[in-house]
Amino acid sequence: MAFDTFDPRLKTVAEKALAFFKDKYGNTGLKTDTEIAPEIGWTPSFHLKPGSFRIVAVEVADNLYPQALKIAASDILRYNGPPISVYQVCSLQVYQGDKNQTNINSLLRHGFGIVTVDDNGTVKTQHKCIPLAQHISEEELHSALSGLSNAFRIMFEDAHSTYLANEGQGLQQVGQIVEAMISSIAKRAAKRRVITPAEASGNLAAVIDALYGARGFRNHRAALGGARDFVKDFRNTASHPPKNAMQAAQKIKKCRTGFLDGVGIAKKLSDVAKAKGYKIQAHVT
Amino acid sequence: MTTEKQTHRHLKEIPPDRIKRNPDNPRLFFRPEEMDTLMASIRRYGIQVPISVYEDDGHFFLIDGERRWRAARKLNIQTIPAIVQAKPTPLRNLLLMFNIHALREQWDYLTIANKLPNVISLFEKENYKEPTEEELSEITGLTRGQIRRCRLLVDLPDKYKTMLQEELSLPKPLQKLSEDLFIEMERALKTVKARVPSAITRLDSARDALIKKFRVGTINNITDFRKLSKIATSIKNLGVKEAKARAVIAEILDPQKKTSIQDVFAEQFEIRYDERKIALNIESIYEYLELSVKDGEEVKLGNEIRERLLKLKRLIERVLG
Repeated sequence: MAFDTFDPRLKTVAEKALAFFKDKYGNTGLKTDTEIAPEIGWTPSFHLKPGSFRIVAVEVADNLYPQALKIAASDILRYNGPPISVYQVCSLQVYQGDKNQTNINSLLRHGFGIVTVDDNGTVKTQHKCIPLAQHISEEELHSALSGLSNAFRIMFEDAHSTYLANEGQGLQQVGQIVEAMISSIAKRAAKRRVITPAEASGNLAAVIDALYGARGFRNHRAALGGARDFVKDFRNTASHPPKNAMQAAQKIKKCRTGFLDGVGIAKKLSDVAKAKGYKIQAHVT
Repeated sequence: MTTEKQTHRHLKEIPPDRIKRNPDNPRLFFRPEEMDTLMASIRRYGIQVPISVYEDDGHFFLIDGERRWRAARKLNIQTIPAIVQAKPTPLRNLLLMFNIHALREQWDYLTIANKLPNVISLFEKENYKEPTEEELSEITGLTRGQIRRCRLLVDLPDKYKTMLQEELSLPKPLQKLSEDLFIEMERALKTVKARVPSAITRLDSARDALIKKFRVGTINNITDFRKLSKIATSIKNLGVKEAKARAVIAEILDPQKKTSIQDVFAEQFEIRYDERKIALNIESIYEYLELSVKDGEEVKLGNEIRERLLKLKRLIERVLG
């Protein structure tokens, strides 16, 4: 019987939440108190499969951020199956009773969503979530962005918002920022006759190669090499739809790494521009 | 019965899914904080102590180790070590759990209270008589004080048992009502009912009023209920008129009035109880000294008592003039 280890109060919370998730995602793959995979050391209260390559797992508990979720997070990040989004369901009373929202913030920082059930049985999504493997927290983003100019920070924050909704498009946006930076550097270099105007207006790989080969950029080959690899990788990652669960998992992991790599490349390109005395003007449409 | 030999014990690795809760396990609440600590430990070190189960009709039923079993299920552990025992009799099944928990970690009183009537009735079936409090204490591993406290909860109307059960299922920081509150309240109401019967027309109304006053903070300490008992016993102990005690109790039990037990007690009874206590102490000193004088021999007092008596004498002279 489902939720048979809960006390009557928590059982009601679990049943209301289950009805809510079924209504939202359908019944496909619905299982209660069943493992997702043997390699994940956590049995969610229930989980379902809203798409071929996605799992939504739910932990019903009236202590916010229980140990089970902390354990689950590390295993899910290593898991090579379909991407998993994880929600904690709790009573509204518990949610509102979290002093200084300490546990709520911890859950959000680690990529979990929160759903509450009040005394009348009304279920509410307090915080949405995306697959854990895709999650980049605001904190992590801001720490990665430190050192970039305000204009680029805003661009990356915008890309992050897109990323949270669609990892492929978010990564694509990061790629466009990096491309715009390279183009801007190349135009400045052409003005100063470090490369020719024709070289500066070629395709992106050719532009990077031209800069890489220029004597004036000899000291910046590491940054340019990194940019070339990134551009090649992100295009493949962002544009190829996954064909199976494993590919879906890999794509999400690559998008996450790609997003943060893109920020790193942008910082290096920004340093290159500074060293050369170029002002980067990048416009991403 | 409790010395029944255990046979067919063996150790086995069992998938948690094949194990079921013991239908007679009285335990209702598993504190999430404790479960978290246990899970962290099991995740790191595994299950070091086997759980105990019995096999019946192809399933394993827990005798001991529900927290470990729950943690193993949550952590998706594939098998857990278990000592498989012979299926116990219903009474032995219950008593095994009582004794395990009385010796190791204490259940909530409500947990015990809910199952105590079963123990009594199963004992009656096996022994053709109701167990005495002493026997009950011996077979369950509970002290007689614990049994008495549980009985106060057993006797609560279902409405209040449910109220307490719902409260105990809340996370600790959100709990307002406790088992101790109900135990203290019931003791006080019993005293009031015995000493000033006319002060309580409906016990449930009295309970509701006291619970309401506790929830809103008019009564802010569960030990205040002891003062309510003292107000009721003041008729005998202080010579307070019954009409006065009744009026005061009625005011305390009136949910519309903001009268608190503490305020009424402090204003009208505390000094008189203090005076009574002092009178009893004086009486005891007087008796001691009188006995010493009556012996007819020279009164021998230790230096310390002599000095204290002299100090007291000087003070009495100052007070009485």
